[in-house]
Amino acid sequence: MIGTLLSLAAALLLATVPSSAATVDLGASVQLTGKDANTGRYYGDAYQLTIDKINAAGGVKVGKDKQKLTLKMLDNQSDVNLSVRQYVQLVTQDKVNFLLGPFSSNFALADSAISEKYSIPMIQGGGASDQIFSRGYKYIFGTLPAATEYFSSTVDLMTKLNPPPKNVALIFADDAFDVSVADGTRALLNKASMKIVVDQRYSDKASDFNSILSLIKSQPVDAILVAGHETEILNFIRQAKTLNVSPKFYSFTVGVPTADFRNALGGDADYAYGMTSWLPSPTFKDEYFGNAEQFANEYKKRFGYDPDYHAASAAADVEAFVKAIEAAGTLDPAKVRDAIAKLDFDSLYGRIKFNAAGQISLPQTVVQVQKGKLVAVYGPKGMMEKPLYPMPAWGQR
Amino acid sequence: MKLGIQLALAAVGLAALATLPLWASPVIIQFGTSALILAVLAQGWNIIGGYTGYSSFGNSVFYGLGGYGVAIGMVQFQWPFAAGLALGIALALAFALLIGLPVLRLRGHYFAIATLGLAVVMTAIVSNIEIAGRNIGLIMPLVRGDTWFYEGSLALLAATTLTIAWISRSRFGFGLIAIRENEGAASVMGINTTLYKVLAFALASVFTAIAGGIHAYWITFLDPESAFDIGLNVKMIIMAVFGGPGTVFGPILGAFVLSAISEILASKLTSLASIFFGIVIVVAVVFMPRGFADLVRRFRQTRWRYFQENIRAHSV
Amino acid sequence: MQLLWQIIVNGVLLGGLYALMALGLVLVWGVLNIVNLSHGALIMLGAYAGYYLFTGAGIDPFAALPLSMLMLFILGYGIQRGILNLVIRGPMFNTLLITFGLEVVITYLAQVIFSADFRTVNPPYAGANFELLGATVPLVRMLAFILAIGLTLVLWLFLEHTRIGRGIRATAQNLVAARLHGVNPRRVYALTFGIGSALAGAAGTLYGVVSQINPYIGGALTAKSFAIAIIGGLDNSLNVVVGGLFLGIVEALTALYIGPTYTDVVSFGILVLVLIVRPTGLLGRTA
Repeated sequence: MIGTLLSLAAALLLATVPSSAATVDLGASVQLTGKDANTGRYYGDAYQLTIDKINAAGGVKVGKDKQKLTLKMLDNQSDVNLSVRQYVQLVTQDKVNFLLGPFSSNFALADSAISEKYSIPMIQGGGASDQIFSRGYKYIFGTLPAATEYFSSTVDLMTKLNPPPKNVALIFADDAFDVSVADGTRALLNKASMKIVVDQRYSDKASDFNSILSLIKSQPVDAILVAGHETEILNFIRQAKTLNVSPKFYSFTVGVPTADFRNALGGDADYAYGMTSWLPSPTFKDEYFGNAEQFANEYKKRFGYDPDYHAASAAADVEAFVKAIEAAGTLDPAKVRDAIAKLDFDSLYGRIKFNAAGQISLPQTVVQVQKGKLVAVYGPKGMMEKPLYPMPAWGQR
Repeated sequence: MKLGIQLALAAVGLAALATLPLWASPVIIQFGTSALILAVLAQGWNIIGGYTGYSSFGNSVFYGLGGYGVAIGMVQFQWPFAAGLALGIALALAFALLIGLPVLRLRGHYFAIATLGLAVVMTAIVSNIEIAGRNIGLIMPLVRGDTWFYEGSLALLAATTLTIAWISRSRFGFGLIAIRENEGAASVMGINTTLYKVLAFALASVFTAIAGGIHAYWITFLDPESAFDIGLNVKMIIMAVFGGPGTVFGPILGAFVLSAISEILASKLTSLASIFFGIVIVVAVVFMPRGFADLVRRFRQTRWRYFQENIRAHSV
Repeated sequence: MQLLWQIIVNGVLLGGLYALMALGLVLVWGVLNIVNLSHGALIMLGAYAGYYLFTGAGIDPFAALPLSMLMLFILGYGIQRGILNLVIRGPMFNTLLITFGLEVVITYLAQVIFSADFRTVNPPYAGANFELLGATVPLVRMLAFILAIGLTLVLWLFLEHTRIGRGIRATAQNLVAARLHGVNPRRVYALTFGIGSALAGAAGTLYGVVSQINPYIGGALTAKSFAIAIIGGLDNSLNVVVGGLFLGIVEALTALYIGPTYTDVVSFGILVLVLIVRPTGLLGRTA
């Protein structure tokens, strides 16, 4: 039958395996289109830039000779199912040596099952949720710090403000990452003796926060902590303005450190707090880029937009593989996996060292938007620039 | 084609496909499993949409329930796969019988829209259920051995197709076709239309649920959005319609051909794959709304005028 | 009590915007019997139109409405005339499929042309609000609400009292008779779809001011418009307003009293119930 013949033809086409002449092949399935593409592109671009940079310096040393890195990147169209199938394809058809991860905890959670199934190490810089690392998997590593710790430095800062906020509203989306953040944040707030007066989970497809905002308005809320995605947080802030909700302090897990988020909000972004595990500062020294500032400049020059911690995290993943391969002296997946687990080096992203479960531990720096500029106010060493507190009412800005 | 020849060809095809894992590469096996599952879905839709004429957008609910049955059973209760599958089938059947009864009273496009609404409702409901992992979903225990999934899907497709072959020659099947062509007349002739419709819906639900269960275990991951995906339902419909609704082998053909083209695109030019599907739908509905089988049959007589005639018949 | 009042105000205003979104879908459905699954994508395009007119030409979004409506009208006219007219007399189910396909194509093209970056339309008054008996009323939503009612009235007047409008209704009721009276169905159909698209465009332009724009907002908006169309009933535009308000208030109450993750369950649950129990909608006449 025609159908069977066509499928056989397709089969033969698909069966052609590209012959790799002494290169180290990395594979990744990234959200280049679809609703996560806005952040997914940071990963695609950073992977490419870092690999090109390392190749320009000669490549990666495998045993005695240097080999170039190649990148096979597929677009998963922000569809988790497709992403899973693509990782299977990368391993079984394209026969890549190692895997780089996607953005988002939901994706990393599902895709890491594939790296575990085929025993190929995957380093991902896009998933921070606990669940990824609590299954006892050996082949998944992550360069985003634990979701449960995201608000840790923020809560510390809150205790040092004058007067410190007492009643807090905790709002979070229902995906893996944000649920993890909320779980951790509840513990942090309780330890700091702050009262959680509003604790609301919302659907990650939501665009209307009027009900939640009205609820917040009807209570004596001093601070609002939101764990969600950029598009939702954008809506949240805009709607807070139209409903005249202005707490003394509000902080968001994503968005604030990203330039186009601030641009989209314009002046309304002022006073908002966020956190980042990375800033393009010359203090982060790097073997390939010099330092983080130089990385940011090169990135901006090549792609036309500023990188943020997503990009730096992705770049770190590539560097981690290179370091691990050089330490192991071989491309054997099991040996490289062990080398990754023992890594401890400094990079443009900070100190790369994975804990026993495979997750990195990096302190978050609290940042605030002040007059349109992103200012670091509180870091691992304590107070930095002065935070503008409390936030004035909308009508008085 | 005479029945005997059809059966012989089918048997040969089945044997060939069954031995595929012996000589094909892992990626072919992977593609094959995916195509087989899609073929089952298309056939499942064929029963309620093709034969009975009730275009269902709710088959994805059965698919999702099958997947969740397996997921919840294996992850939350540590049951073996078979038990999870049984749970999935039970859920899908319950849904088909309880919800099918009122919804199947609706005619024409209202039925389609109601089932569309059902798919959205189920996504929303399941994303609030703790035991189903809410919106995050569930991760299945890992299992190696793609061959078992391949052979299982092949067996399922064979079972589904045999059932449809039986339907097409049975009184039940003629009843369904009568309902499709003129439900009022069928009822007057003494056919218990409600019973027949619900049975068709239930049959479709069983096969679709099993497919969903196998797929979930194979992919090791399930979340509400992917489980009850309306896009998947549209895919089922397009494959069944493209191949030939109301025929025994049509949907299989449609599924294999469209899958093959889609996979090639997805692995070579990933960004085109998403638009490919949309374009296929538009082109197919305009030029060959009665499917590939009808095209093949009539092309000999009418040649290129076939497309023109289709347009003329349906346009204003 | 105050909270409840605020929630109801929220719901009513949201309902107004919802009604405007659903208006175009209902017109096309009622007249052409086309269930347009790409309706949300048209709303999305309207939002982008508003965005580019605002950031590119500095035109205030409310002033830009006639322009974005015109652009969407032309696009809709083209789609109907070029594609949908080819399948309109086939099984209704085919139009469901083809509009789904169109949605995929439009969304993809939007992503390629506009990129996935999210946009906002931020006129200086975007955050303005006023107090009404203790509830805060966002200005833009109030205006959108008034506009929705206004456009509904205009649409009703158009269909009842203008020659073209009556021609559209006649074609909807009896194609043969309309033809006998000299109506050109191809043009009438295209005109109707164009008007439906223009209304979607208006809703989109306003949506861009209260929310954010990216190529993927279409799907959820289609689903919502759908629910409103069924719940309100397809008979006339007044039903749409009632449907929209009903859904807006129900969602606002659900978010507060049951939980924000349950709004879809309730909205679409009601949709299914209405379909089963009273398919012509809450206000529709049982034909």
